[in-house]
Amino acid sequence: MKKQIALLMAGVLAASVFGGCGTSGSDTEQVRLMVWSPSNDQSKDNGEWLQTCCENFAAQHPEWDITFVYGVADEASAATQVAQDPTASADVFFYANNVLTTLTNANAGAKFGGKYVEEIKATNSEAMLKSVTWDGEIYGAPYTSNIWYMYYDKSVFTEEDVKSLDTMLEKGVVSFPFTNSWYLPSFFIGNGCTLFGEDGTDEEAGVEFGGANAVEVTDYLIDLNANPNFKIDADGSGIAGLRDGSINAMFTGSWDAAAIKEILGDNMGVAALPTYNLNGKEVQMQAYGGSKAVGVNAHSKYMVQAVELAIYLASAEAQQLHYELLNVVPCNTELLQDEAIASDPVVFAQNDTFDRTSILQPIVPQMNNCWVPVENLGKGIRNGSVTHDNAKQMTEDMNTAMNSDGI
Amino acid sequence: MSHKTTKKVKNIAVHCLLAVLAFIWVFPILWVVLTSFRAEKGSYVSTFLPQSYTFDNYIKLFTDTSLLNFPQMFMNTLIIAIFSCILSAFYVLSASYCLSRLKFKLRKPYMNMAMILGLFPSFMSMIAVYFILKAVGLTEGSLIRVALILCYSGGAALGFQISKGFFDTIPKEIDEAALIDGCTRWRIFTRITIPLSKPIIIYTILTSFMGPWLDFIFAKVICRANADQYTVAIGLWKMLEKEYIDGWYTSFAAGAVLISIPIAILFLCLQRFYVDGLSGAVKG
Repeated sequence: MKKQIALLMAGVLAASVFGGCGTSGSDTEQVRLMVWSPSNDQSKDNGEWLQTCCENFAAQHPEWDITFVYGVADEASAATQVAQDPTASADVFFYANNVLTTLTNANAGAKFGGKYVEEIKATNSEAMLKSVTWDGEIYGAPYTSNIWYMYYDKSVFTEEDVKSLDTMLEKGVVSFPFTNSWYLPSFFIGNGCTLFGEDGTDEEAGVEFGGANAVEVTDYLIDLNANPNFKIDADGSGIAGLRDGSINAMFTGSWDAAAIKEILGDNMGVAALPTYNLNGKEVQMQAYGGSKAVGVNAHSKYMVQAVELAIYLASAEAQQLHYELLNVVPCNTELLQDEAIASDPVVFAQNDTFDRTSILQPIVPQMNNCWVPVENLGKGIRNGSVTHDNAKQMTEDMNTAMNSDGI
Repeated sequence: MSHKTTKKVKNIAVHCLLAVLAFIWVFPILWVVLTSFRAEKGSYVSTFLPQSYTFDNYIKLFTDTSLLNFPQMFMNTLIIAIFSCILSAFYVLSASYCLSRLKFKLRKPYMNMAMILGLFPSFMSMIAVYFILKAVGLTEGSLIRVALILCYSGGAALGFQISKGFFDTIPKEIDEAALIDGCTRWRIFTRITIPLSKPIIIYTILTSFMGPWLDFIFAKVICRANADQYTVAIGLWKMLEKEYIDGWYTSFAAGAVLISIPIAILFLCLQRFYVDGLSGAVKG
């Protein structure tokens, strides 16, 4: 670690020497930036993406003499950690957008403004922008989408088969995280159930998971669970089944891509979510989609530099390197035009899922009440306590629980 | 004859029951050990016994350090645990000795207070402790180790009950005899009480080593993003995150086996002192 810092310092110094030819040394401003990222972005095995990018950034800005301090915080918990004590946290950090409100409630996230907003807007899709927007302000520069989709064995299913879950179930064994409430609602959302209004921001509108359309889905799920070709994926049983050949398709995200590639090799197929046959009509499953973004601490001492760095870390250049070193699927609209990147099946599937078969996961605080009831319904179906006889009642109970504030 | 047979039958039944209970008790530990040698990757297996065995999980822990630096976490934890063990064992024994032997006005109120404070879970004060440590400047860099040592040993004196109870059983006459001969309280404590209370000292050392060795919650709150200061508990927890679980699960089991080794060594070294320290203390 010390060595790395020393090397970095040397790099920064060298950069300032080369870059600072015209100006005298005293013009450089001393800057100390703390950057938090997941540990795989910093590991040697993965080419030290973060360090490389930060050095590049320093080289581009000879007017600042930047000392970087690196810390480890994964995207899922970074925002919570920053919110706990913003004054002793990173200036720049990577976070998953579903905890955006934690950040804004603690006044810990810096709002982007002016030319930075223009830049973010120019290089991101509408949905991506919305994922980091709260109360009309942008709180981060997105660098990838955070979503799950389908991996399948090409030797079992054709590209035509994977468009429909029911066709797949006839040909092979499919595993789905049935008892995980990040995945299960995809069936309900597909059939017109909504969360917090049309665009997921209207807390007053509440959750509509209780109507006749929801009961239909519950009935479908009960039958699905009874299908011998359907296996519930829990505690890693899906990927283990893929490994021993007892399962031919599963639903997960980019974090498992490398392991699945190792198992299936050239037979690895990746696709957006399939449709399912609900009483004769094909219904498209819709996942909860989110993004991961680079955020800036509102308490940063070096606001300009921090925002500049955040923009750089989510720039096309940094995203390209992120993709090459760590297979992080880029979201920069210009970068996605690139032939080599666009033809990668994982990139295509992830973005296809995000664009076509997902809704933005609502980030309103009330969303916190929506996880346990859905999980309980999934578990109830698995355990056999939810049956066709009480499906209506159980679905309505779930809806009531999702709409209530109580625990 | 029939009496003997009934006795035999009873014994067999009892031993069968005990064997079943012992199996149930050892089963999870056995499973973790087996998993740590499992060659198949992943967190979920359909068979109880691994299909093939390997040492790679252990090797990975110590060689694949760029993502999760287990050797460093191990050393961090060892340093923290050793120092907090020494400090808190000293605090506990001193406090117990004072409360057992010295008569002072606050003795009763102190014991009541300690009892009531002990009823609250320690993590209740976690956030406050964090901000105090931050104000003192102990939450960055290597000072985090100092902060953790302070955390684990600071409250130790409240856990005096068991050793005070033990000290109470040592006859006061010995102390009095020593006082008459001109011994100071400190000398009585170090030369008489401590040599007579080996079992309870061993117990105190073991518990005060295991606390910091296994603690997760304080380490998590205080280490925050400083990966180079992580303790094994945080490291093991990291291995189970969704990005790592598939590749690291068997190494996680290996790590779990490894962290039990220092505790086992400590126990084996100390257990011979678990004999009755009082035998032959008072004659006549």
